[in-house]
Amino acid sequence: MVCSLRKSSTPLQAALAPTPAALAGQVDSARRPAAPHRNGPPWWDIAFIPLQTTEGLFGIVGFITVVGEAVPAAAKKIPPKVVTLREECTKYYNIDLLTGESLAAERLVAQVRLAASVTVPVWLVGEPGSGKETAARVIHATSAARERAFVAIDCAGLQPYLIEGLLFGHGGLALSDRVGTIYLKEPSALPRDLQQRLAEEFADRTQPRLMCGSYSAATEAVATGKLVPLYQSHYCALEIRLPPLRERLDDLPRSAARWLPHRPLDAAALAVLRMHPWSGNWREFRTILQEAATVAPAGPILREHLPLALRLRAESPRLPPNKSFQLDRVLQTVERRIIEFALQKTRGNQTEAAELLGVFRSRLNRRLEALGISGQPSLKSRKTEETPKTEESRKTHEG
Amino acid sequence: MRTPQVVVLEPDGWIARNLGDLAAEGGWLIRRARSVATARSLVNDRQPCVLLVQVELSEEQLLPFQFLAEVRRNVPDVAIVVVSETKLNDADRVAWTATLFELGARFVLFPPLTRPVLEDVVSGLMTATIRRTLGEEAIPAGRTTATKSPPEPDEVIDLADEEVYE
Repeated sequence: MVCSLRKSSTPLQAALAPTPAALAGQVDSARRPAAPHRNGPPWWDIAFIPLQTTEGLFGIVGFITVVGEAVPAAAKKIPPKVVTLREECTKYYNIDLLTGESLAAERLVAQVRLAASVTVPVWLVGEPGSGKETAARVIHATSAARERAFVAIDCAGLQPYLIEGLLFGHGGLALSDRVGTIYLKEPSALPRDLQQRLAEEFADRTQPRLMCGSYSAATEAVATGKLVPLYQSHYCALEIRLPPLRERLDDLPRSAARWLPHRPLDAAALAVLRMHPWSGNWREFRTILQEAATVAPAGPILREHLPLALRLRAESPRLPPNKSFQLDRVLQTVERRIIEFALQKTRGNQTEAAELLGVFRSRLNRRLEALGISGQPSLKSRKTEETPKTEESRKTHEG
Repeated sequence: MRTPQVVVLEPDGWIARNLGDLAAEGGWLIRRARSVATARSLVNDRQPCVLLVQVELSEEQLLPFQFLAEVRRNVPDVAIVVVSETKLNDADRVAWTATLFELGARFVLFPPLTRPVLEDVVSGLMTATIRRTLGEEAIPAGRTTATKSPPEPDEVIDLADEEVYE
């Protein structure tokens, strides 16, 4: 045993440091916590025997006896019932939660299966309420890391010092082998120095796996300065887009049956639900279902059980839910209609039509050519000229 | 729209008392429950933004753990904060924290429990939950200005990048 006179710092050095009496040349003993622990039991009972000649002390020999047994840490004995409960929770997040009849659901399931079969970081993009965390949990629960814990951290809701402490502080989760997946909700909400640290800490590790959920793509977050480039390059190996609910309207009955098992959706109620734009996605859908279930505690969910606002919206003429506003297309349609109206008014006289429209004749000609309008439009010809898209736009304008 | 509400499941009123000032300042409602059954009905009926559950980390008290899992599954938008009065070493703390996160907790607090930390956790999660429910973009915890526009790429000075070029 090599003895040092320097002040000890590590548990091993502290345990082996000779006593003052031993350093003074006397045989001595001491009880120390067994390294690498800082507390016993077990203990080391150490007998220090100085080695000395007439010239003085030249060494100390220590004999160690281990006393007592280590108390099993609570970490090793999380109550079995709690462990069982945890396993049940993991099983709940199976791939069935994401399956559906729509094409978008099929694509999502395929991507989630792919993500579960590999260990690369995943970036989940989707609108609020589109089920990013659920998808992350499903990926974790169907991956090889399912035995370990899934830890979801709300980066927008927790102060950076809390997140840093949780991951890298005493008893931090980042270095623990108990954690299989760390899911960061909105990592772009983190300060850049913490993003940089995360990127560096997890750069060479596959365990725990990192997943991120955000309303914007990683490249977009980097472009707007919300995310450090290093983070994006490390954690966007696989990007999965969660389709909004308006793209999964065919999945409404299935999801409703999952959340309200014995409460089928009436056809009229389903028609109303299909007309809703669902800006809040699944979160909004679930809330509406719960409200409907409260209104009618038993039986099928009827149209009358749905909120009045939804029913009124379904009755009034409105935009198709999955149509986007294409400004150029709308403006073009408006221009086309006004020009045709002017031509109709002037019975095809382009000079008068240009005057009526307040433009030069040459400009009107250019626009006629660009829009593909013949010089003598009739109602019949207009109808045949219009593409389906144009018709839609016209309805938009009329609406 | 959900109103800012906190439900606290605890045997004594320590947590609710400590959140009193914060709740008064923010205009929140705090509802306290002594039993899991009361807390369950409050969560189902009132849909709070944050649920605080004080748990005893033992097998005898399994009901609070089941309650956590149930809330996570049925009302996933409720942010759950678990508070423990048991002081643990690092290894135990990691094990319990990981388990509780898996069951649905958003944060776990161990002794020494201080009021500023409690307030930071609850207020941050409250704001984030409400914003998320409204479908708004995430605002980092502790920052209140929602109107600040994101910086242009040219405006961003990445010190880490600068160091590389120096």
